[in-house]
Amino acid sequence: MLFASASLPAAAGASADPGVGIHFEIAPRLCTLAAKERQCTTVVHASWSAPQEESLCLVLSGRPDIKRCWEHYAAGTYSLELVFAQDLTFELRDPGLRNILASAVLRVIREALEYRHRRRQPWNIFD
Amino acid sequence: MSTTAIRFMLAAGIGLVLAQGAWATDEGAGTNAGCDGPSRDCVAVGHWNFDVSLGAGLRTDPVVYEAAIPLVVIPHVSYYGKRLFIEDLDFGITMTEGTAGTLSLTASPGYDRVFFYRSDLQNIFVPGAGVVTGGGAGPPPSPFPARPRHWTYLAGPEWTFETHGVTGQLDLLHEITAQNHGNEVRAALGIPLGAPGTTLSANVGLTWESAQIVNYYYGAPGVYEGGGSVNPFVKLSYSRPLRGRWRLLAFAHCERLGNAIADSPIVNARYVVTVFAGANYAF
Repeated sequence: MLFASASLPAAAGASADPGVGIHFEIAPRLCTLAAKERQCTTVVHASWSAPQEESLCLVLSGRPDIKRCWEHYAAGTYSLELVFAQDLTFELRDPGLRNILASAVLRVIREALEYRHRRRQPWNIFD
Repeated sequence: MSTTAIRFMLAAGIGLVLAQGAWATDEGAGTNAGCDGPSRDCVAVGHWNFDVSLGAGLRTDPVVYEAAIPLVVIPHVSYYGKRLFIEDLDFGITMTEGTAGTLSLTASPGYDRVFFYRSDLQNIFVPGAGVVTGGGAGPPPSPFPARPRHWTYLAGPEWTFETHGVTGQLDLLHEITAQNHGNEVRAALGIPLGAPGTTLSANVGLTWESAQIVNYYYGAPGVYEGGGSVNPFVKLSYSRPLRGRWRLLAFAHCERLGNAIADSPIVNARYVVTVFAGANYAF
């Protein structure tokens, strides 16, 4: 499930070094797993804004199938439903995907558990 | 094996466990090296675990006029605290745990009652993993119903270990519910045979039961009185992960009853065979 939108292009001529002053955030920033849960399933909202027009792409580290690009926009939002078990790193990159302009991490917090050895009982029929 | 020898073993075992326990640190039962996540050998502390096996199987009953016990649904419940553990009908306290093995004080129900009462809880929670449905509302007619065999518990030290993939268990138990005051030794080795990813294993072991226990279950007052009995067993088992939380499992277990039991007039079989094949689901 994907939702994407972008603001209108900023006024022409507003320019500076690409990627400077970009504000990037995601929500939520944490997913907490209970003891019996193996993975998170949630809709993640990513948004960015810049003082000047930018051409950039939102990518998810380690997930090449997810990519959303904007050309000459000053702001954008993107929402997608994700299933994951490890931290996710969202990155804004230049259109060539060479340089990281901004990044944000969605962290997975697991309930702190202590483990111990299970009783070994080869005498028992079902062990 | 004489009663004196057993008493000495029990005393030595209990003393060893208590001594080891005194050395244990306040941080818990000892080292849990290698246990940093859920696995077949590691469990989360402070959580209940439930699984159920569904399939088809049976356990033969060596007592005359008793039919084989069907195995269809086998529930299994366990709980592990820092030291406390509950495994179906067994419970105990882990005194110390280290690379050389684990020493615990454990309590476990007397096993042989399953052959006399179909409603015995050990016919629902098959020792170690779970059982049984079926059997009707009551025990079938028997020429030996007059003397009841009550629910009993045995307790004592337990030493378990693992080395080169081989697991071992030694329990020195004494009956603590004042029914027969007998002693029992349970010893076994679990030997892996299969390739990684599957579990093919062989278990070999024995149960030694003192004359008090043998006669409590298999004695016929005024007719037959037996001595201690050594009952060796062998088991082959196989398991393989399936999708999700399902696991395929099958096993065959054969126990040879010692002469003191097999010679009883209420016993008509030398071997007890338990077989089961099915699937296990972990909640």
